[in-house]
Amino acid sequence: MNDILGELERDAVTEILNVAIGRAGASLSSLIDDEVSLSIPRVEFLTPSLVAARLDQATGRRDSVAVRQHFKSAFAGDILLIFPEEHCLGLVRSMLRDTVPLESLTELEQEALLEIGNIILNACLGSLANQLDLTIESSLPAYIRGSGPRILEAGAASGELIMFLEVSFAMASKGITGFLAFVMDIASARQFAEAVAAYVKRALAG
Amino acid sequence: MKATVMLVDDSRVARMMARAAVERLVPSAVIIECGTGEAALAAATATPPDFVLMDVNMPGLGGIATARQLRQRYPAAVVSLLTANIQDPVREQAEEVGVGFIAKPLREQDLRAFLGLGAGAP
Repeated sequence: MNDILGELERDAVTEILNVAIGRAGASLSSLIDDEVSLSIPRVEFLTPSLVAARLDQATGRRDSVAVRQHFKSAFAGDILLIFPEEHCLGLVRSMLRDTVPLESLTELEQEALLEIGNIILNACLGSLANQLDLTIESSLPAYIRGSGPRILEAGAASGELIMFLEVSFAMASKGITGFLAFVMDIASARQFAEAVAAYVKRALAG
Repeated sequence: MKATVMLVDDSRVARMMARAAVERLVPSAVIIECGTGEAALAAATATPPDFVLMDVNMPGLGGIATARQLRQRYPAAVVSLLTANIQDPVREQAEEVGVGFIAKPLREQDLRAFLGLGAGAP
């Protein structure tokens, strides 16, 4: 399915998302006061069930927690921040540092993860919008807990291919890992690629 | 410094983090937390704020509209958006309303500048 985007388009899409994800990584690093390593983003066109299987594989088939926002511009889709369930409390503790007693952390976990998602996902979408000179509207973040299919259920209609961008990040000193994923249907992916191509053209023209 | 600092955010955790950051720099500050723009406008009537940190994407009256009203009613107050929405149009709206713009997560240096504190110890 690599012919949905040409090689140059794919390269441009990856590069522009790389910058956006870099901004998200910087926000996360600042939030938890730790270095965040990012993998190279991987863009693929897959069926929703394959995306779910990929996610389950990446999380060792254990439940994950995700914060999902729907976004809409010239293209639309979902952006997700996903953490293996067992890493969530550590992440929340890192974010709140010593401001909250340990016994209150579990009670605050969901709200804290929503706020983490709000910051990270908007950093990514905001960078994307600023680079492409577009306005991107996004929903309030939603919290989901479960396996890959549950987390991805709001994606494209079953059977339709979706663009899945996956980047993993790690906060080595705290042993926390996670994933950021974009899910767009093919029509949106093409619109997105067109917006990226227009951006590249403007940039090259100076 | 006995300042009244209003924190407006629909996220309780976001308010907790902002409160902790303000209290670290200005332990004597009177802090008012509001979960909505409407609550902020009501609370400001009772206790006019010296400083306001305002989220943007909130249910009900959004942060921009609330900031606009606060700016008109309390021109001496120092008001800034504090938001994860870093898109250029949001910065431009902040400028148009006459309030500041701070990107989440809140960094100490940004908070110091907002509160008019120097770079050194509080």
